Amino acid sequence: MSLRRRKKDLTFWEKIYIPEIVKGLALTLKTMFKPKYTVEYPEVKFIPPASYRGRPVLVMEENGKERCVACGLCSRVCPPLAIFVQAAETPDEKERYPVKFEINMIRCIFCGFCEDVCPEEAIVMSKDYELAFSSREEAIYGKDKLLTPIKQVQDRINFLRQYK
Amino acid sequence: MEKLTKDDIHPKILEALMRTESRYTVEDALENEMILNMGPQHPATHGVLRLLLRLDGETIVACVPELGYLHRGYEKMAENMSFYEFIPHTDRLDYLAPLSNNVAWVLAVEKLTGIEAPPRAQYIRMLICELSRIASHLVAIGAFAMDVGAMTVLLWTFREREKILDIWDILCGARFTNTYTRVGGVANDIQPEALAKVNWFIDQFDDNLKECEQLLNKNRIFIERLDGVGIVSAKDAIDLGLTGPTLRGSGVEYDLRRAKPYLFYNEMDFNVITYKEGDCLARYFVRIDEARESAKMVRQILSKMPQGEVRLNSAKKVLPNKAEVYTKMEELIQDFMIVNFGINPPAGEIYSAIENPKGELGFYIVSKGEGHPWKCKIRSPSFCNCQGLPLMMKGHMVSDVVAIVGSIDPVMGEADK
Repeated sequence: MSLRRRKKDLTFWEKIYIPEIVKGLALTLKTMFKPKYTVEYPEVKFIPPASYRGRPVLVMEENGKERCVACGLCSRVCPPLAIFVQAAETPDEKERYPVKFEINMIRCIFCGFCEDVCPEEAIVMSKDYELAFSSREEAIYGKDKLLTPIKQVQDRINFLRQYK
Repeated sequence: MEKLTKDDIHPKILEALMRTESRYTVEDALENEMILNMGPQHPATHGVLRLLLRLDGETIVACVPELGYLHRGYEKMAENMSFYEFIPHTDRLDYLAPLSNNVAWVLAVEKLTGIEAPPRAQYIRMLICELSRIASHLVAIGAFAMDVGAMTVLLWTFREREKILDIWDILCGARFTNTYTRVGGVANDIQPEALAKVNWFIDQFDDNLKECEQLLNKNRIFIERLDGVGIVSAKDAIDLGLTGPTLRGSGVEYDLRRAKPYLFYNEMDFNVITYKEGDCLARYFVRIDEARESAKMVRQILSKMPQGEVRLNSAKKVLPNKAEVYTKMEELIQDFMIVNFGINPPAGEIYSAIENPKGELGFYIVSKGEGHPWKCKIRSPSFCNCQGLPLMMKGHMVSDVVAIVGSIDPVMGEADK
């Protein structure tokens, strides 16, 4: 443990302060030659790890259809109530599908609970983190924006299978 | 500049300010004594803390902190959502150590429900608690140094904290609002990359902290501004209900990790840091030493971490394993039941507290056997520590206000709930 000093413990040289300024400047000067810890963001992109919780997306199967069966569990668990699901029937094997699936990206807090409870592995968090809107309407993402080919989110699905 | 009138101050605050006899009148502010309004939009009050100071010249006669500018009603919100859904909201209490709050909340719910997480999950919780303590103390030290005029330290401690945030990025998938713990365990197992990063961080942390210390410990300006400023005696600290570094800086050896061990803290070897002076400098020393102790503890946790499950397998209480939800009917039903109706703990009430970086963070939950708490009370350390401000301020100068506020390190998200 280093020495804990109070006012009375200061030596004469520390009290006159000038040598201490020089020492401090030397220390700060030294860090100029250390490797930089910052990233120059727009030029250098941050590549998130597989565990990253970015924008939630719907998984699209190879046949171009969504996995979601519109059970509504994600919209039930969503803490900020950002998800809206409207179900309908389909002649396919899974019987139900979402006619409307909307996530309000202004409300979303990226907690990952929708993915946590989904019984079909149909909604997962992508690595997408650059979200900007110019109006509130634009921020409501419908199925057209949410559906993502399974290949793009394979990374995340592998992570979920391994660690969750 | 507009003059402060009687209408700008709540009558109760005015009464508290004026309790001592004086010749003061509000309209005639500069005549004898004056009232200075500091905050809520003041860069040195660590958020939206408003301080009303009654000044005689430059000496503070009385000080009344006014809280509530960041009140979001989390205690009320908790009554309207399930125990599970409240986890992300705890992130936003003490936003400098969100994982500590996550752990505190799930420990309270587990105590209420009567379940216990598997050992590996508990070790992971301990690991994240200690790392978030380091992160929080680093911000506290940096911001404190900046409050009294040393800018460089802030940049260096933020660089160190950035490394911890990078660990969260790999471990939880988010840097700031982590939402990592779950009732009965943690969200996901700790990855080898995250462990490697923790190891790397701990190895280089000591040297980097020493560098920050070198800038401050022999610095005459820093010491003279803090030595003997904002003294709280041990008795006053206990009477006011102060906890955390503020209490231990006054020489009271009280740390919940030692006093009432939760998780596996009884197996850990660590010292409870105390300094007996009780001034701002002592609180700074406590934080620096505690960060070192936490780093020491992280090493122990890493070496002791057992293998195994990270989430309890308990129907009706804990969300089932994902792989089983996909394939088995029972677990699928369980998944739906827990999300729709909650975990329904037995009726009763509990109080569970952990040692947050700021002090004792407790959750008092009353359950009527439903999926949501009937009442939830948050005992937040920053709120209680702010009660010490009037006592610490009395008799000091206006310029000491920022030092004193910085030394108790309040986070307004937590103080206002």
